[in-house]
Amino acid sequence: MSALYFMSPARCTPETLASPLERGLVGAPESLRDLSPDGKVELRGDLARVGLAEGDELIRLTPRRGFLLTGDPLAAIDRSRANGVLAYDMTGALGGLAFEGETLFRRLTDLDPGALPTAGGFARISAILVRDEGERFRAYFPQELGHYVVEVVLDVLAGLAGGRSHRA
Amino acid sequence: MSFVLACPHCGPRPVDEFAYSGEVTRRPQSSPTLRELTDYVYFRDNVAGRQREWWQHRQGCGEWFLAERDTRTNEIISVSLPKPGT
Amino acid sequence: MRLPAQPGELIDRAEPLGFRLGEYRLEGFRGDTIGSALFANGRRVFSRSFKYHRPRGLLCCSGHCPNCMMTVDGVPNVRVCVEPLREGAVVTPQNVLGRLDMDFLSVVDKFGGPFTPVGFYYRTMIRPRFMWPVYEKFLRGVAGLGRLDEHAGHSRRYDVEHRRARVLVIGGGQAGRAAALAAATAGPGVVLVDESVRLADVELPGVEVLAPARALGIWEGKLVPVDSGTVLYRYRAERIIVATGTVEQPLVFPGNDLAGVMLPEAARRLIRDFSLRPGQRAIVLAADERAPEIAETLREAGVAVPRVVDLREGARQLEAHGRRGHVRRVVVDGEETKCDLVVVSGGRQPAYSLLSQAGGRVEYDESLKVFVPRDLPAGIEAVGSVTGEGIVRAEGAAAYEGSGKCFVCICEDVTTKDVKRSIEEGFDSIELSKRYTTVTMGPCQGKLCQLPSIHLYAHELHTYEATIGTTTARPPWAPVELGLLAGRHLEPTRRTSLHFRHEELGARMMWAGPWKRPYAYGEHPEDEVRTVHESLGVIDVSTLGKLLVEGPEAAQLLERLYPNRFADLKAGRIRYGVLTSDGGRIMDDGTVARLADDLYYVTTTSTGADAVTAWFEWWNAVWGYDAEIVNVTGALAALNLAGPRSRDALQRLTEDELSADEFRYLDAKHIEVAGVPCLALRIGFVGELGYELHFPSSAAEYLWDRLLADGARPFGLEPQRILRLEKGHVIVGQDTDSESNLLSAGMPWLPKMDKDDFVGKFALEHFAERDERELLVGFTMEDDVVPAEGAQIVVEGQPAGRVTSARRSEQVGAVIGLGWLPRDRADAGTRFEVRVDRRLVGARVHHGAFFDSAGERMRS
Repeated sequence: MSALYFMSPARCTPETLASPLERGLVGAPESLRDLSPDGKVELRGDLARVGLAEGDELIRLTPRRGFLLTGDPLAAIDRSRANGVLAYDMTGALGGLAFEGETLFRRLTDLDPGALPTAGGFARISAILVRDEGERFRAYFPQELGHYVVEVVLDVLAGLAGGRSHRA
Repeated sequence: MSFVLACPHCGPRPVDEFAYSGEVTRRPQSSPTLRELTDYVYFRDNVAGRQREWWQHRQGCGEWFLAERDTRTNEIISVSLPKPGT
Repeated sequence: MRLPAQPGELIDRAEPLGFRLGEYRLEGFRGDTIGSALFANGRRVFSRSFKYHRPRGLLCCSGHCPNCMMTVDGVPNVRVCVEPLREGAVVTPQNVLGRLDMDFLSVVDKFGGPFTPVGFYYRTMIRPRFMWPVYEKFLRGVAGLGRLDEHAGHSRRYDVEHRRARVLVIGGGQAGRAAALAAATAGPGVVLVDESVRLADVELPGVEVLAPARALGIWEGKLVPVDSGTVLYRYRAERIIVATGTVEQPLVFPGNDLAGVMLPEAARRLIRDFSLRPGQRAIVLAADERAPEIAETLREAGVAVPRVVDLREGARQLEAHGRRGHVRRVVVDGEETKCDLVVVSGGRQPAYSLLSQAGGRVEYDESLKVFVPRDLPAGIEAVGSVTGEGIVRAEGAAAYEGSGKCFVCICEDVTTKDVKRSIEEGFDSIELSKRYTTVTMGPCQGKLCQLPSIHLYAHELHTYEATIGTTTARPPWAPVELGLLAGRHLEPTRRTSLHFRHEELGARMMWAGPWKRPYAYGEHPEDEVRTVHESLGVIDVSTLGKLLVEGPEAAQLLERLYPNRFADLKAGRIRYGVLTSDGGRIMDDGTVARLADDLYYVTTTSTGADAVTAWFEWWNAVWGYDAEIVNVTGALAALNLAGPRSRDALQRLTEDELSADEFRYLDAKHIEVAGVPCLALRIGFVGELGYELHFPSSAAEYLWDRLLADGARPFGLEPQRILRLEKGHVIVGQDTDSESNLLSAGMPWLPKMDKDDFVGKFALEHFAERDERELLVGFTMEDDVVPAEGAQIVVEGQPAGRVTSARRSEQVGAVIGLGWLPRDRADAGTRFEVRVDRRLVGARVHHGAFFDSAGERMRS
């Protein structure tokens, strides 16, 4: 949909793009991975009619609202809109972070780690949480809170390692 | 306040994930008198007992829904999606 | 010092640990508590009491009473009787001027008695009134217990962890363990919490044991926070089984607070856990059946027990006397016994607090003479002695006669005399008297004083305990560090994608709602204002709320949400909009651009994005239009490029046509700037030719750098506020408040009253029929002084209004502002006065913009 093409980082020259987590993750443990550049599309409408490409991951929040994690947001948006489902490029809107450990998860959210993916409270903000194999998780959250999220996660990790607060 | 509220989509969640928007009111249809208007804008039944009220799962799926809650015990009797236009 | 090894002792004699008490270096063993180690070193006085500074020793040895509270490694009010000893611990006594065994403030006890009755602060120190600050300073200095280490800062780390349990058992005694094991047969998810370190190594098949840890309370939703030291476990349980047992009750007699007066469990723990002899020569006083059993335990540990008194046999007079705070002799009905240890048993009270917090009822059981829990809510159960099961009725006096101070509440130093006095003064309800005497309000929270005080009330008022009732049980059940409750410091801070660019440029960052924004980049915001007027400035406005409204009925939805019209807005055009509530009040404002027939792009104030989104969604849940509302605030960065040079500068970065004819004021256009697709809005909040560029936030730093390299100079929030004030533009929430409406705030042209319906229409219809009392207008100061925001506006010597914004403007050459004035004083040119620094300064009403009132610059 051309009226919204100004929303897509994929339409920018690649060298213009930066991640909201970049500065916060300098020197962070390898278990934390920045997923912010990954394609994310918000869907509104009959989610049953969304056509999925290989590797696409659909997270249903309500029967009419969902998020699509996809390698090619532009194609996904075209496909969804062709099928009558409104689609918005949220790649730039959401920061994404992969992390490991159920204890870390429990220190950040009240959500049931056995009932993911879902959206809910996470470090006092709202996030979409996904569980991968074992104790690996992904969180997607408003990018303007991305630096905050990284600060909190690093602080929790320091606490779990028995270190002193880096605020001290 | 730490009770658990069941979102119609996401299921039981702690109440702090939700935004509360007060009891269900009836908006006047057209040109109300000042009395009718102020009743609607400013007055609430504020019952001690079962009340129908608006909630939004703000930190979750974002849905607005209706809940029937006992204001004395915070027991949630039922939740439902609104039927627009009523 | 120590007894020969006891079976099951907790100490490891092979591992001595050194620690300090004030200037003394002392030694204990691993497995000791700080309290037991101090006791082993001959310490008997552990603290000084709250009010009278009386010496106090170990009483409960179970972490209930206040007697052993000390400062450990800088943390105040640590109950050392249950605090594990660690190598190098630094222990300091509290509430002492001098030393524990010679406290200069103990004169309060000797001479202050008649002057420090209950409520004496309120009665004595109120006159003369002007002296109260002096009294208060002194009282604050001598009252209270531990001192916070003001320099400790963030030296400790606390965290919260969320956990779930199918069955949570609180209390690891026999009943609790049995309940946990039974629950475990039905599957996993059984957790047992116990305060005692003894439970730490207990293996219960299928049960997760958390010890030492304390359940602090039961909140609604079966939420149980568990204190495990520096992590607060927030348990959500499907089922809660409370097995908290009983709390041993003291006896009320003169001298009952002397060091050496102990509860049976204290003596038992010293012997069994730490192999310490609690005294050399003991007298046992029991109002229940336990006298022989206690005496037996003491004798086995080598304590001489010359006298055992079963108080059920009806002793009336009982008093203890001591020297320097240690018990030396006890007199029962005239018969004196020399001793250094008095073990007292006043019966056992079920520890029902958690059950009561959870919504259970508490009732006085006449046959057991204790309070017991009844009628528990669904999903909450009680097992063991907390239910009253197995408790033998204690038959003691409410208070024994004798000479000397007789304490009902040792935490707060409340004596029987204080209670009697409060009853004489008319405080005959326990809830009132509690607030007056502070009985049960100390660190033990009634564990050791609630039952005795109720017995005393019933006795004094010649009524039944059931009539007196109990005070309300509130969490926390045990004292907890505030740091643990506060948990991790979480302050969600919203940063724009340019946050670090601003910092690198030396901007002073300030809070703007949930956002951090640059106040200004240099010391002189007026320099940044001049740049915008004369050449080219750029401001980061990514914080603006941004919403998409899309769908076949998007126009109808907006038409009904806004007082003005949007259905007739042409694609590619922009219109200013103000949102009002159904009460007619101004809620938020912003611009609305129509991008296509069924697609609108709405901006809100920087703090309004979430509220406006929720507002739109709520109304649409009510109305059910076929339109989607999508909050895209974070997806897009926004930059406002403003100043006479902005067209030329932007034209150099784009191939799209920007001429005045092609890209008019209030046009919205898709353009590509330096390889970045943008939605460009020609709007003029700051009053100069300007373009607001909205584009993917991921490209923000890149485009910002390009614009700066091209000569644009950044300006912050403060210069923007000066610029908009020069135009007389209102900031919602700054110049308006919850009482402001469109008619009073100078926008009567905005609402289209001929529309069928819009939110706020009914109220505006009524407002239109009356005259507004106050109007929002501009003004120019006569002198070069800037009134504070909120400064009083004075008309004929009377307060008549208030200033909402005021700044010095170079461009206008005067101090200008906005404020609320009475309607009959709001005509242009009318003079009034403003209070600035205690003097009155003249000002005149000004309507419209202060500068370029025709708006030629921004339309150029």
